[in-house]
Amino acid sequence: MINENVYRRFNHTAAACFIIYFLFPQKILGFERSFFILVFWLTIVGLEYFRLRNSINIIGLRDYENQRLAGFVWFATGTCMILYLYEIGMFPQSLAIATIVMAAYTDPVIGEAKKHYGNYGSFAAGIICSFIIFQLILGSLFYSIIGSFVAVIAEKPRLKWFDDDLAMQVFPITILTIISLIEGAPDLSQTLIEEKP
Amino acid sequence: MKITELYIYLLLAVVLFTTAAFAATGEYILASLIFLGNALPGYLTTKSLLEKNGD
Repeated sequence: MINENVYRRFNHTAAACFIIYFLFPQKILGFERSFFILVFWLTIVGLEYFRLRNSINIIGLRDYENQRLAGFVWFATGTCMILYLYEIGMFPQSLAIATIVMAAYTDPVIGEAKKHYGNYGSFAAGIICSFIIFQLILGSLFYSIIGSFVAVIAEKPRLKWFDDDLAMQVFPITILTIISLIEGAPDLSQTLIEEKP
Repeated sequence: MKITELYIYLLLAVVLFTTAAFAATGEYILASLIFLGNALPGYLTTKSLLEKNGD
């Protein structure tokens, strides 16, 4: 057996690759690319359905996930929501990219920091990690500070029906989008990657 | 276990492909973030896989 903790972390960080979606052309095999968001999400939900029925075994999950939705379903749901809401013009591309990458990296960093440095250390590590990612991608101190605090605070509550993998994506992007729409708020670059026709 | 092994190699390939795709489009910050963020967990996972399999 492999080291399941390391394997779980790698699965989490690899989720940052979802942003390759923004390099896809608008149409794939004659379908709107947003159609594939639904296909992907249904595939994940289907996998989870069979896992919960004990038809398939997925390694690397936590014990408490045996009887509830696994983290990867929550994360995929959050990412698919962001991508879809981006497609219908609700979220800017820059925030969609920054949020997905931030959530993919910050949650494992918080988890590892908690083991070694406790709650305060993990909070600080989460803030630093998310701030660096937001700042590198958005290039705005204002949005990076707010986004990092919202993300790390959203990660804290332990609720059975609302996982931190979803919360860390939905709350920061929603709050930052709303703030960016307020008159007088600092400018936010809307687009990072030029979309292909 | 075989499926998990293949899946890990697939994940590594996806990370490398995504890094290359962003680098090729001039998005060097995103390419670096993808690569650096996955380098340590990817390395440790592969190392663990090879060690446990006795390769």
